[in-house]
Amino acid sequence: MSIIQLTDVTKDYPLGKTTVHAVKGVTFEIIEGDFISIAGPSGSGKSTILNLIGCIDTPTEGMVTINGETTSGLKDREITRLRHNVLGFIFQSFNLIPVLNVFENIEFPLLLGEERMGKKEKGEWIDYLVEEVGLTEWKKHRPNELSGGQRQRVAIARALATRPQIVLADEPTANLDSTTGESIIELMKKINREMNTTFIFSTHDMSIIHIADHIIQLRDGLIISEERREIPVS
Amino acid sequence: MKIFIIALRNVNRQKKRSFLLGGAIAFGIMIVTLINGFAGSFMENVADNFSQLFAGHIFIEGVEKTEEGKSIALVRDETILLETVREEGIPVQYINKRSAFGGTVFFQGKSVQQQVVGISWDEEEFLKDRLHLVDGGFENMELKKGIILSQNVAAKLKVEINDTIDIRLRTVFGQLNVGDFVVAAISYDPGLFGSISAYANLEYVNELLTLAPWEYQTLGLFLDDIRLMDVEVQRLYQALGEKVELFERKETVEENPFMAMMRQGEEEEWEGIRYRLFTLNDFLKELEQIVITLNIASVVILLVLLVIIMVGITNTFRMIMYERIKEIGTMRALGMQQGGVKSIFLLEALFLSLGGAITGLFTAGIIMFGLSKIYWGLGTPLSLLMKNGYLTFSIQTGQALMYVIIVALFTLAAAYIPTRKAAKMKPVEALYNIGTFRR
Repeated sequence: MSIIQLTDVTKDYPLGKTTVHAVKGVTFEIIEGDFISIAGPSGSGKSTILNLIGCIDTPTEGMVTINGETTSGLKDREITRLRHNVLGFIFQSFNLIPVLNVFENIEFPLLLGEERMGKKEKGEWIDYLVEEVGLTEWKKHRPNELSGGQRQRVAIARALATRPQIVLADEPTANLDSTTGESIIELMKKINREMNTTFIFSTHDMSIIHIADHIIQLRDGLIISEERREIPVS
Repeated sequence: MKIFIIALRNVNRQKKRSFLLGGAIAFGIMIVTLINGFAGSFMENVADNFSQLFAGHIFIEGVEKTEEGKSIALVRDETILLETVREEGIPVQYINKRSAFGGTVFFQGKSVQQQVVGISWDEEEFLKDRLHLVDGGFENMELKKGIILSQNVAAKLKVEINDTIDIRLRTVFGQLNVGDFVVAAISYDPGLFGSISAYANLEYVNELLTLAPWEYQTLGLFLDDIRLMDVEVQRLYQALGEKVELFERKETVEENPFMAMMRQGEEEEWEGIRYRLFTLNDFLKELEQIVITLNIASVVILLVLLVIIMVGITNTFRMIMYERIKEIGTMRALGMQQGGVKSIFLLEALFLSLGGAITGLFTAGIIMFGLSKIYWGLGTPLSLLMKNGYLTFSIQTGQALMYVIIVALFTLAAAYIPTRKAAKMKPVEALYNIGTFRR
């Protein structure tokens, strides 16, 4: 079942007196439960596409549809709600909130929505996520006390806190060494399998894309290849 | 609740910056609180000092027109006056009857100007409590011609106990007279006006002024509470007005009630005895302007400091927003609404202002406590503003609370513009620091 559809999507950025055409009429769809890699060299439009899917940016032209709902017509409040309820984010440089510890960082998205989870239930869920990413002993530590790999694990757990249908990871391994990077992708894959969460990650590292079930390769804002290795079972 | 924790931890994140900002707020509040504290006790101290000098809060002074048309101050029959005070239930701590003159004291070729107050010692026990004698004793005042001089005057004249001094004065009719007194005691009066007055027996003072022994010039009422002065004088004025002739108590912009009564005495045609009913406040009203000026000055200082602080806060918050732009983007991406972003930063501003304001109040309290423990002396004009040579401060809780609220509102207003800009930023611009915040 299609969960995301991009139809003739373009994105232009003004840069001084010129315009950068970051994405040039891209069309593809993502199935629920997909583990998809958007790959390509720097400047190919990977992050832009992730931002458009993640509703943190709007297309210049074309249409982005999530769960059958077109995002371009939504107001800021509705888009924010959509991001909170449906999407999870993992950033290249982790983007953890420095004044909160591991547990609190994971808890943070749960405090933003309209639906409130019971304290006990919430505590158990966060503990489960902490355990899932292997940071039980570190849950009272603040981000500056963690290694890069540990921080990214926290970011993964945080992205999963609201039980989103889709998790977007923008170059999640770019700031990590290759072993740690691989373990992060493996962890994402494990969660994808266990929770049936759709994972979309961008990377320029060709050595890790083989883990993905669905690979979209970009160059200069255009899709140059799309390969589906496995169709997820919903 | 987590938002509170985040905001609080964020304030703590940049300790130096928070300290400087909060310190600026604390300094402003401290200065204003000190001024207000001083102004608050200003009137109280001045009134207290004057009430000691005049030994009362409300005064009734008799004025009699002589056959020659001259006005002389005296109370011939106190019965109606005392009855009315009693009947009206005026809350009086004690009543005193005094006559006084200003004269020149001579002793062995030396002379000083001195106010001599005639006291009925049986009725003014309070004065015995207040006057600290360094030599001699109150028992010596049983001598009709006894006089208590202050240490200061005694030193100038180089007199000792039992020395006889001469005082030249004018009677109530304006004739020159000379009286001899025996130094009964030398006092150290901790009050401001300690060396202004010498104290003698009312009977002898009356004799020198050519008044009868039972007469006196002013009836002073020392109330239980100085703050009752204005209310009680109105009551007494109404009640006395039905029994005796009173000078009208009128207050205009140009003159206080006492001045109005003095003018009436000179300008109006009248005969017999009239009474002037006046209070300390009649004189002190002029001083209220100083308190008002001090209060206005403190508000102006507060506003100037607040404007300076506001500029600082606006700039600092712009800087903070810029530094945390990625964090704002992250929170927005995770699903925080614009209002949530605003709340965090406004809470930070609120914590800063409250922390600064409370510190300012606390610091002002410590300074006031310290200053109030220092003895500043009685020999300067400033001692009029003090209580027995000590500074006192009076802070009104409501006023302090109002300043805290004003500071909090100003700080929130100063932080609001950058906060609003930050909240309105598109998440992608914030996350990738594209820089629209600077626009």
